[in-house]
This record gives sequence, structure tokens and C-alpha cells, in this order.
Amino acid sequence: MRRSLLAATAAAAVLAAGAAQADEIRIGVLYPIAGTGAVYGEPAMHGHNMAVDELNAAGGILGKKIVSFARDTKLKPAAASAAAKELITKDGVNVLVGGLSSAVGLAISEVARQEGVVYVATIPKTIKLTTEKRHDHVFRTASHTDFEGDAMGQIVAKLGLKKICDIQLDYAYGHDLAAGIEKGLKRHAPDAEKVLDLRVKLGATDYNAFISQIMGAGCDGVTSGLWGSHFVNFAQQGSPFGLFNQIKYISGGEIASHEIAGKMKGDYPDNVWSNTYELWYHHHDPSHVAFQEALAERSGTKETAMWPVLAYIGVKFIAAAAEKAGSMDADALAGALKGMSISTPVGPRTIDPETHQADTGQFWGPMVKKEGVDYRVMDPVTFIPAVIEE
Amino acid sequence: MTGRMTRPVLAACLTVLVLLALVPLLESNYLIDLFNEIMIYALFALSLNVIIGYSGNVSFGHAAYFAIGGYTMAILLTTYEWPLLPAFAAAVAFSFACSAVVAYFCTRLTDIYFAMLTLAFSMLVWGVAFKWRLMTGGDDGFVGVDVPAFIAERVPFYYFSLVVIATAVAVLWVICHSAFGRALLAVRENPVRAGFVGINTRLMRWWAFVVAGTFAGIAGALFAMVHRGMYTESAFWPESATVLIMTLLGGMYSFFGPAIGAASLFLLERLTNEYTEYWPLVLGTILLAILMFLPEGLAGLAQAVRRQILRGR
Repeated sequence: MRRSLLAATAAAAVLAAGAAQADEIRIGVLYPIAGTGAVYGEPAMHGHNMAVDELNAAGGILGKKIVSFARDTKLKPAAASAAAKELITKDGVNVLVGGLSSAVGLAISEVARQEGVVYVATIPKTIKLTTEKRHDHVFRTASHTDFEGDAMGQIVAKLGLKKICDIQLDYAYGHDLAAGIEKGLKRHAPDAEKVLDLRVKLGATDYNAFISQIMGAGCDGVTSGLWGSHFVNFAQQGSPFGLFNQIKYISGGEIASHEIAGKMKGDYPDNVWSNTYELWYHHHDPSHVAFQEALAERSGTKETAMWPVLAYIGVKFIAAAAEKAGSMDADALAGALKGMSISTPVGPRTIDPETHQADTGQFWGPMVKKEGVDYRVMDPVTFIPAVIEE
Repeated sequence: MTGRMTRPVLAACLTVLVLLALVPLLESNYLIDLFNEIMIYALFALSLNVIIGYSGNVSFGHAAYFAIGGYTMAILLTTYEWPLLPAFAAAVAFSFACSAVVAYFCTRLTDIYFAMLTLAFSMLVWGVAFKWRLMTGGDDGFVGVDVPAFIAERVPFYYFSLVVIATAVAVLWVICHSAFGRALLAVRENPVRAGFVGINTRLMRWWAFVVAGTFAGIAGALFAMVHRGMYTESAFWPESATVLIMTLLGGMYSFFGPAIGAASLFLLERLTNEYTEYWPLVLGTILLAILMFLPEGLAGLAQAVRRQILRGR
């Protein structure tokens, strides 16, 4: 135990060295930076750093320089919870931002509640974050599973699908999206019938059993929220069976984003309708042109990813709220975030003062082949606003 | 390993206890959380050592009882809004009951078969935690444990945790150094001979397993409260491996060795994480070093060094 005391002294020394400096604003950033999640975390960090650099170049927040403390969430709620706590107690951050995966978002939010620190959720979409698990200090700038499910209901109606198979990941996002889709179907396609419910473990790589079940169920539409590599594996395993000729695949989880389309190229299947927060080739808002150019320069590719804009918007909301509140105090910041409106590269955004949820709409459409490029693009692009009409 | 606590050991224990009690005076939330977690893992590792060091079996599924204690505590406090003491008692009782049942099957086997069966049972527990979403929160974890108001703040909780862990360690010490503990050592050293002497070896090993499971449950219950949540990772096999490595690193032939191992490994992981994401690589190297050069762990190393110094005089 003597050893542990020695280490404790060392820890205390480290702590003293890192004691909070009053002349800077400390933002705790939580994305998966290493391992499988890095594919999403790394672009998100580009967007985050871009916003911070822009703000610092313009004098920071409240005249103070912004310093980011990034921690790896490993895509796991337990690790995210520990990291969030350490950011607050050790690094003395004023605010938390980020979170990838709904489970991670809920875990960070719980730490924010205990420690009384504002958390701006930029990516997690579980509806619970802004309903039953909402507290004074949590705000969301991402979309949520009810908006997403409603949009999917609209698409099912538009395509006239009658028998639906649903395949979701077996964690908060998948369960809540399934519920959101069910509500969306009831609103927009009441005569569509759900015939199959499948649940896949987060991180799964083998989908053969699920594919044969879907093909045997005789559905004409599949609704899903398999995101990222889950969809890539599912599609690569389903295509040889002709799955995508048999059904229309309507998916949340932003598989229409360019990182997926650009990665899958020719393997991207037919008959996929999906969503994305941003498309590098689609300028919905005039300010997007400049944003995309700056991002392209930063990421070293003309065809930029979708995640950066989410992280970017999160930081911009924090900065705007801090300026309005005149302080980084958690309660003042939370007060300012309620009803806060800012303009973003993908159009104006307002946070609802009651639900703490931003009106984040998404671009939806079919993924089609295009002359001259080896990846698929969304065409036509339809912006579905974050409105649920009962 | 046997007999009464020698004076230097007692003095060292009291010193550590006093120093731990002084931690909140540093007024650092980070250090309070850090020490709280170290204490919990120390108890967890000490409990495992009853099986490994005393009864001479290797368990690959000890995380199961940690998770059972933790989930029971989380669910009773939050979902059923039980008061602290009944919830705690129930968590401990449930860990006891579960380990009693599992021990019944596992102690029929020895060696690798015992180890594999403990692993199998722990995966069952993980499966329940993962699939029973309604109760455990599944893959999302059980987030937001309601800790009673009087220990909800950091410092009161730290002292609560310290009292519980100190008591638990003291009880474990008494158990391990009682006639029961010595009988266990006899079973470990030579089960056939112990049997001929009249020791019911299977019953002894059963009790060792149950004691270990119960104290792991206490550690788990505290873990759920300090984190205000419980996650399936706590029941997954890498967690069992981690506590096994803690025990080996500290030294399984010494009562306090595993606690030292737990503290060292925990701090090392925290410090490593600040510089690199390749913690598993570091962990693997440590494991290799223990197996090759330190079969008796840090405690064994300390003793060897002491012996050298005494001889040198």
C-alpha cells in the first residue's frame, strides 16, 4: 500500500500542475478517438477543432481562450462515464460536449447531472435524453429517434410499402428508433404492417442469420438503424442473396452520409433511402459553401465527412450561450441555451426551452449512382424539418 | 500467512487506514473518487484471493459476483426505492446465494475444469445483464443510481465506503486466519492428505468460493453507488481477467498482496491512459513480467528484497 501512497503523491502533484486557470475556457470533449469508433470520432474532432480555432481567432469566449480536453469514450458507457467524471474533477472543464452512441450519451448526461455541469449532446439520438432522462443541464443539438422514425414513416408511405421488417441494434438507439418508427408508421402509413422485429448486438459483424429471416418474412420494406460499419457488413452480406432487389431499405443512422457512401463505393446496394445531417455536395444554406471549403482544407479531402458539422454546431451553441449569459456558470449557461437560436452551415437551429432539444432536421433521399464518380450520391435531396405533425 | 497479526503489519494497516481517512482533506474531488475506486478494487481482488491464494483454484469468472452485487444494489435502490441498509443487505445476501449455487457445481471440479465452469457461469450472468433490458438497462447500462441523500455527497460517501471496506477487509482477514483459513491452506497444498486428515475438502472449497463471491458482491454494491450506474462490462470476462491480474500482480500468497496489486494496476491504468490508448499492450507486458519473473507478485518481491537486506547485514 506504500506504493499506492507514493503514486497518490504523484497524482496530487499532477493535479496541482493542471489546476484550473481562470483565464481560459475549458471544454471537455468526448468522442471515441481510438479503436473502431475512431472512424467517427476523428472527423468529429475535426469539426470540433475547427469551431474552437475559429472562435479563438475571433477572441475566444468572453475574451478568454478556449482549450479543449479530449477523452476517448471507447464507444462504451462505462468508459465515457469515467472519462466525463475525470474531465470535471481533474481537468476542471466548464462544459462537456460530444458523445457518440446513445448509451454513451445517457451515461455522460448522468455525470453532468450529478456534477452540475452543462452537457451538449452533439450525436446521441435516443429520445430519452430529452424526455424521461432530461435534467437542467443536458441539451441536445443532434436529431432524435422520434424525428427520425417520423421521417421514415413518411418515406414508407411515399413508397407505398405494406409489409415491414424492422432490424435494429440492441441498445438505447435501436430500441428507441423502433418505437419512433412505429409512431411514424401509425401517423403516415397506418396500413403498413410490421411483420418482423430483429435485434442485433452493437458491434456485430455477422448478419447472415438475420438476412435469411428477412428474406423469408416476405416484407417489401426494411426499416433499420444499423449505422456505420454495421450497415457496411449487413449490405455486403445481404447483396449476394439479392436482398436489396427484393426490398426497399429505409434507414436512419445516417448511412447516406458521404463517409459511408465513399467507403462502400460500388458495394453500396440499390434501393436504399437514408438520412444525413450534411452532404458536402449539397448547399442547403449559403454559408455551407465556405464551411465546406474550410473543412476540406482541414481534412485534406474535397469530399468531406458528415460528423464534423455536428461537433462544430455543438461548440458554436456553447459559445453563443456563454456570450449571452456573460459567464460559464453552469446554471447561467443552461438558462441561455434554453430557446437559443444560432445560424449554422446547415441552416438555423433553435433549442426548445422546454425539451432542451434543437430543431435539427435532416436530409433524406434515395442513394443513386452518378455518372463520373465511383460512389453513390443522394438524389433528390429532401430536407425533412424537425417537426412532428400529429 | 497464518496466526495473529504481527505488530508491524497492524501498524501498517492502521497507518494506511488513517491516511485513507485523511484523503478528503486534500479537497480534490478527483483524488476522492480515485481512492474510493482503488479501495473497491482492492476489496474485489482480496475476495478473489480467497479462492486463488487460499483454496488453490483459479476462477475466471469472479466479475459475475461483483456485477450481481452491483446490479442488485442499483435496482433495489433505484427501481424499488429501498432504503440503504436493506438494499445493501439484500445485495450481499443475493451475492452469497448466487455464489453458493455456482460453487455447488464448480467445486465438483478442479483445475482447468473448475476455471472453465466459473467462466461459463460468469458469461451467463453477463447474458442476463445484457438481455434483461427492463431490469438492468441491457447494453446501455443501469444509469442513474439513487444514492440516499445522507451519503449522496462525495465526502460522506467516501467515509461510508471506507468504513464498509475496512470492516469487510477486517472480516476477511479474520476468516482467512481462522482455523478455516488454515484448513483451506491444507487443501491447497495437498488435497488428498487433507482429506485423509478428516477435512471435507469439497465443503472447504465451497465455503472459500462463497466467501469470495459475497465479498465481491460488497465491492460491486459500492461500485454501483460510486459510479451511480452499473454496466454490462462489469460482468464481462475481461473484468474477471483484470481482477485476476491484480491478484497475481500483488501476490496471491500474501493476504494484503492483492490489495497492493489492485492499487498498482488501477493507478497504472489511469496514468497510462493519459499518454496512450494502448493500455492492453501495457497490461499484457505486466502479465508477462509477473509470470516470468515475479510468480509471487509484488508482495513476494518485497519479501525477497527484505530477506536480501537482512542477509546483507
